[in-house]
Amino acid sequence: MRWFETPSFDFIKATKVAYFLSGSLIIISIFAIFTMGLTYGIDFRGGQEFVFDFENAVDVVEIRSELSEPLGTTPEVKLFGSESEILLRVDTEEDITQTRELIMSEFSSLYPDNPVTVQKTDLVGPRFAEDLRVGALYSIIFALAVVFIYIFIRFKGWYFSAGAIAALAHDVLIVLGIFTIMAKFAPFDVSIDQTIIAAFLTIVGYSLNDTVVVFDRIRENSLVYKTMDFKDMINKSLNDTLSRTVITSVTTLFVVTVLFIFGGEVLKGFAFALVIGVILGTYSSLFVASALVVELQKRAMQAKS
Amino acid sequence: MKSQNNGFKIGSIVLFLGLTIYYLFPTIQWQLEQRHMENMVPSERVQYQEENAAKLQQLREESLSLGLDLQGGMYVTLEVGTPQLLQELAGEYADEELDEIIQTARDRAFEQRTDFIDEFVAEFESRNPDGLLSRYYRSDADNITRRSSNEEITNYLRQQRDEAVDRAMEIIRSRVDRYGVTEPSILQQGNNRIVVELPGVDDQERVRDLLRGTARLEFRLLPEPEEINAVKQQIADYFSNQMEQEQADTLQSDTLGQADDETTNLLEVFDLRGTNQHSFGYSAGRDTSTVNRLIQQEEVQSFIPRNMELMWGATPFAEDNGTELYELIAVRNQIELTGDVISEARVAFDPTTNAAEVSMSMNAEGARRWARITGANIGRPVAIVLDGYVYSYPTVQNKINNGRSSISGLGGVEEAEDLVNILLSGALPAPLDIIEERTVGASLGEDSIQAGLYSTLFGLVVVALFMIVYYRAGGGIADLALILNIIFILGILAAFNATLTLPGIAGIVLTIGMAVDANVLIFDRIREEMRGGKTLRAAIDNGYANAMSAIVDANVTTFFVAIILYSFGVGPIKGFAVTLMAGIVSSLFSAIVITRVVVDYLTRDKTADVNFG
Repeated sequence: MRWFETPSFDFIKATKVAYFLSGSLIIISIFAIFTMGLTYGIDFRGGQEFVFDFENAVDVVEIRSELSEPLGTTPEVKLFGSESEILLRVDTEEDITQTRELIMSEFSSLYPDNPVTVQKTDLVGPRFAEDLRVGALYSIIFALAVVFIYIFIRFKGWYFSAGAIAALAHDVLIVLGIFTIMAKFAPFDVSIDQTIIAAFLTIVGYSLNDTVVVFDRIRENSLVYKTMDFKDMINKSLNDTLSRTVITSVTTLFVVTVLFIFGGEVLKGFAFALVIGVILGTYSSLFVASALVVELQKRAMQAKS
Repeated sequence: MKSQNNGFKIGSIVLFLGLTIYYLFPTIQWQLEQRHMENMVPSERVQYQEENAAKLQQLREESLSLGLDLQGGMYVTLEVGTPQLLQELAGEYADEELDEIIQTARDRAFEQRTDFIDEFVAEFESRNPDGLLSRYYRSDADNITRRSSNEEITNYLRQQRDEAVDRAMEIIRSRVDRYGVTEPSILQQGNNRIVVELPGVDDQERVRDLLRGTARLEFRLLPEPEEINAVKQQIADYFSNQMEQEQADTLQSDTLGQADDETTNLLEVFDLRGTNQHSFGYSAGRDTSTVNRLIQQEEVQSFIPRNMELMWGATPFAEDNGTELYELIAVRNQIELTGDVISEARVAFDPTTNAAEVSMSMNAEGARRWARITGANIGRPVAIVLDGYVYSYPTVQNKINNGRSSISGLGGVEEAEDLVNILLSGALPAPLDIIEERTVGASLGEDSIQAGLYSTLFGLVVVALFMIVYYRAGGGIADLALILNIIFILGILAAFNATLTLPGIAGIVLTIGMAVDANVLIFDRIREEMRGGKTLRAAIDNGYANAMSAIVDANVTTFFVAIILYSFGVGPIKGFAVTLMAGIVSSLFSAIVITRVVVDYLTRDKTADVNFG
């Protein structure tokens, strides 16, 4: 079987459409992040979180309203995987054992015929959450910096670094935007916690993987076709590697989708980020990174002359 | 030349495979043993486990361990209370200014995430431009005198903090060992944090007490009943006045009454009568924090004399319709004797009630003082206070000369054992705060293992089929490499004693998707070279050679990201990063070396044909 054996798409010509698409997505994402705010999970916000497993289905809304008074604050209650499992998040300074016992005793009076077990309890102090948040931010910034330096050294041109970084920032920003909007209605937990940061960095790694393969071909072609126009050469490189880009994206997309569907509730948000990340990463290495390299190179030349 | 080269490659494959099997062998054996034991009847199993204890222990230690998220257990991050430590080190030199400095430094260190000791010194120096820290700190042992410079004292404080952390870790290790957790992990994080991982443990409260118990044991006298009664009366009057006033307010206007809602609660949640003349009163367990808050009010505190302190009983003294009742007990402020005189502790049973208690012996100095205290207080109660809770306040019957004492009023044998454990491990140098705690139930862990396993297998099958359909023989070779790749990852994890976590499994799943990437690059390149008119052999050689730089660049960058994840992440994220790194190394090896050897072998005859689709 062969896909894209000798393709001749004009990727650079599609730049305008891509800029418009990416531009709108980024604006929507930034707007969403600023108006709705990021939905932090317990890792970055602190508080207490429980997973309860009931024998029969329960009503999330009922639990939320019934527990608000005894807890002294409205807890966040969500289904967790099935109709009978719930995730409950609460900001309280009470001792976690006391909170748990309070909730359990409320449950036993609320659902006397529906026994419940505690699956998971998490407690994160506010200071610790702050530390984790800062650590996560640093790790993303640091990752981008290292990538910039590595590409700068390997490809000897700052515009390659800039193109790659812009594509990565593009991917991360849009995934963040999607997560922010999804937080309002997703049937699974999409709040931003440590595992999501791991997913972001994996997206960075993946997207970069794709971008670097294309850049590598650009470097090779620039030595072979010395007289070719820079724009055409980038187009040729993208077409040369298109088959590989698509195949790798397809196989990776397969497995992360499997992980999303069968990987269990704990990994849902993580796998979801990867699914979007793989799609975006492929798109951005085809349409954003290289187009930016052309753009930046052109400007650099103009500035020189 | 070529065959020699391949000989080296084959050698390295055999070596790699051999090492992997060597490192994975204990894991496989351990799995087999577990299955073997599951089939036994319980009595046989116990006997088998006893007979093979050493071997089983070794297998367990050497086999690939599962993270807490997979096997269930408890994960706790503790922070050594540096502010309290500095307060205590100052001892008798402490004054109100020191309290203020510590408070300010603590707030600032929190806000700006800076080191507490740095902030402490900076705050002191900004308040006292020419002041010397030796005002508060002296130590003969560490050569810290009145004339020591602030720098010397800062170093001394840092050293004290580090020692406190070391000592706390030692104490926690010894407590956890006695508790009997298999494969606990106790690590230092940053300069004042300790991470404790306890697989298979889910009794949170017990563990929390165990980890945090400072083992500060005190013997104190109790105030006279008349004195207690007088204070009780004043507090009761104060609150009933409040209640009346509020009712009057509510009658006047409905809105005003709400503000004072809280105050009226004390008489409702707290019964001032008490069960005996020494007790202050009692309340249900869930209301104790409300009572604490109400009693902390300044007006209420003003009724309590300086030499009196209120403390909760450690265990419920009675049960009322299913609610456990706790007693609030008035004790003297002065500490008669502390736990450092205890030389030995063990679990004992009360001969009449058969309840578990802890019996303790004191050293010579302690015994002498204990004899004096008991001698002077015959007929009066002595409170035994541990970490701020009153365990019992037995009445002294006669002078005790042999230095024996005991703690009764414990919840059961388990609690008695824990208490002995805590007393014997020694007192913590500074209080520990739990700043992060995660517990995963065993069943959730099992579900996660299953989900992870199924998605790995399913992803593997889908990708393998796709590769064969798309690249034919080449795809089949890549699939072989892929399967070896997963075995290698597990081998690398076992060799580095890493822990398989849920994100780690996700890392393996992701590696499956990305592992074929190197082969895709190579095979696509081979196809391209063949289109350019090269022979199969030449196309293969050129394909591998030309794809190499892209493969290296792509993997090196991902590896960098994995290193960053590893250095910044904690817990499960580290596990993910480790699998990602192992995945990159092993997928590079299997995609480049293994497939090459197989491809070379299949095309060793000039006429042979390997189909790349």
